[in-house]
Amino acid sequence: MFDQYIGISPKSDLILLQTLGERLHNRTFLHINSTREGGGVAEILQRMIPMLGELGIQTRWEVIEGDAKFFDMTKKVHNAIQGNFEDITQDMWQHHYEINKKNAGKLDLEADAVLIHDPQPVPLVEFKKGGIWLWRCHIDVSSPQQEVCDYLNQYCRQYDAAIFSVAKFARALPIDEFIVPPSIDPVSEKNKDLTSEEVSEILEKFQITSDRPIIVQVSRFDRFKDPIGVIKAYRLVRKYNDCILVLAGSPATDDPEGEKVLDEVREYAANDPDIYILLLPPFSDRDINALQRAATVILQKSLREGFGLTVSEAMWKGKPVIGGAVGGIPLQIIHGVTGFLVYSVEGAAFRIRQLLNNPLMAGEMGEKAREHVRKNFLITRQMRDYLSVWYAMENKGRSVLEL
Amino acid sequence: MEEKTTFQFMQCISLLKATGRKAKSVRELRDRISDVSDESIFHHTYQYFLKGNLLEYTNDFAQWAGESIEDNALSERLSNIDLYAFRDINSLRQELRKVIDEHLDVFPEPKEAMPTDEFYFNETVTFVFPVGTRATNLAEFLTALRYIDTASVYYHFYEARMRLGGGIDDFSRWVEEVFGKKELAGRIRAIDPFMHDLEEIKKHIIEEVEEEVRKDMEVIDRCLISI
Repeated sequence: MFDQYIGISPKSDLILLQTLGERLHNRTFLHINSTREGGGVAEILQRMIPMLGELGIQTRWEVIEGDAKFFDMTKKVHNAIQGNFEDITQDMWQHHYEINKKNAGKLDLEADAVLIHDPQPVPLVEFKKGGIWLWRCHIDVSSPQQEVCDYLNQYCRQYDAAIFSVAKFARALPIDEFIVPPSIDPVSEKNKDLTSEEVSEILEKFQITSDRPIIVQVSRFDRFKDPIGVIKAYRLVRKYNDCILVLAGSPATDDPEGEKVLDEVREYAANDPDIYILLLPPFSDRDINALQRAATVILQKSLREGFGLTVSEAMWKGKPVIGGAVGGIPLQIIHGVTGFLVYSVEGAAFRIRQLLNNPLMAGEMGEKAREHVRKNFLITRQMRDYLSVWYAMENKGRSVLEL
Repeated sequence: MEEKTTFQFMQCISLLKATGRKAKSVRELRDRISDVSDESIFHHTYQYFLKGNLLEYTNDFAQWAGESIEDNALSERLSNIDLYAFRDINSLRQELRKVIDEHLDVFPEPKEAMPTDEFYFNETVTFVFPVGTRATNLAEFLTALRYIDTASVYYHFYEARMRLGGGIDDFSRWVEEVFGKKELAGRIRAIDPFMHDLEEIKKHIIEEVEEEVRKDMEVIDRCLISI
């Protein structure tokens, strides 16, 4: 599996991965999150875990189990961290703790390094048995509901280090805080090359015509992704350019609000035959890949965003991307170079028109976008960083490590 | 003997660490510059070129002043600081403070950054490792230069200046010490580290070495003809 990245990923990332793999040979690495499918975290773990094993590191991935009350509460925590007001009672926090306690009883938490993903399993640190414990926060915590953060901080402080996706998400915590952007896998079903015949077949499956430019947004049906705003922008563009819109997303088992938002989007689209709303089942990676490759312009018009990996996915396919200037999107889109950053529906509409009317500029932007992703946002770089954090924590206090 | 004459290409990769400290105004930036770690000052200045930024600025402070608070005068002054003119981080820290103080004397109430657009002070843990490429003569060196990553150029051309001092980089030192090529060393040292991105620096070094190899070949040709 590792060999697949030769010639794709930067050589230096592969060398450092192998070197760190030798240093951490036969050590144990445990990842814990709350869902095996849906969302960027699960997707990357599905690919990363076997590759870490190939490097000689004994890696496990465990998923905590919870009831509807637990996931309702953790969704509220997620929203509160991203800045929405949510009423989270003491009883809910207690339930959060109890569910984690139950999981701690069932899971083998012993490992040399333990990486806990997001707030759902964060209390597991109370049941730490040894090793280096790292909390990985994938969420935009730049302007959170403070009391929710304060509550979570009592757990965070017990970790050895925290990892955030973007520097401005880091908090004033009394532990080491590393910055590790997430990544995409260039050889996965979602990102590997497809022939034009394969792309056409998938468009036919969804009865999408390819005789007009296609505008695509791929993301969960979540208010923070602003699917309604995307439809508004599309309607502004339609006054000038004939095109179709595809909104595609998969449900996630840890997101109970998804269905409600999807209903709102369908209602707002009002049976427009040129708007395709696709609720794709989990593991529709090949379909998403084809939709992105068929697109003329790709949007990620988020209002809040952890990182927005769909931006890197689209850029990897050589597409110009228009993204909301939130979360990790400005790290991926260099405005005017690898895509456009926008702040409003009107801004999104203007940039769509600009790209539809300048195919040469769109092509050049797409090429630069792909190279930017190759250097910064491939899975091999993220694996390299996780192992580097682990190794740095074992050599704490040293700012230069010669390998 | 072999170790001394062989050029071992190294590379460095930086793992970013947040310090939890930030500044929303020029005054706060000045205060934080006074008390953050040496590693943080090093990261926001010397490591700027490792990030592959567009060459509008020469350090993170200048970029923030230009883009986040749109203070172009301060940005220009900060960009004009020659990082390699200082013997240690504290001297550079003093210069940064001096430039900001002088600016504040003229513009005492500069703009503040929007929330989440503040300057976030970071530092790094740097991993240095061999990339598995060596050169024992100029021709091998030229071939290797064409294939190495730009992060390797950063390590040998920028980071080396901090290690070796005196505006000397690993490439020029090796050609001078091992082959006595003072002129070539001088031409490599004359490449302005602030005026090019890493790809361009690599291209210029290749051009200089290529020229030298061509000249050496001509000398050999002439010798063979005379025989």
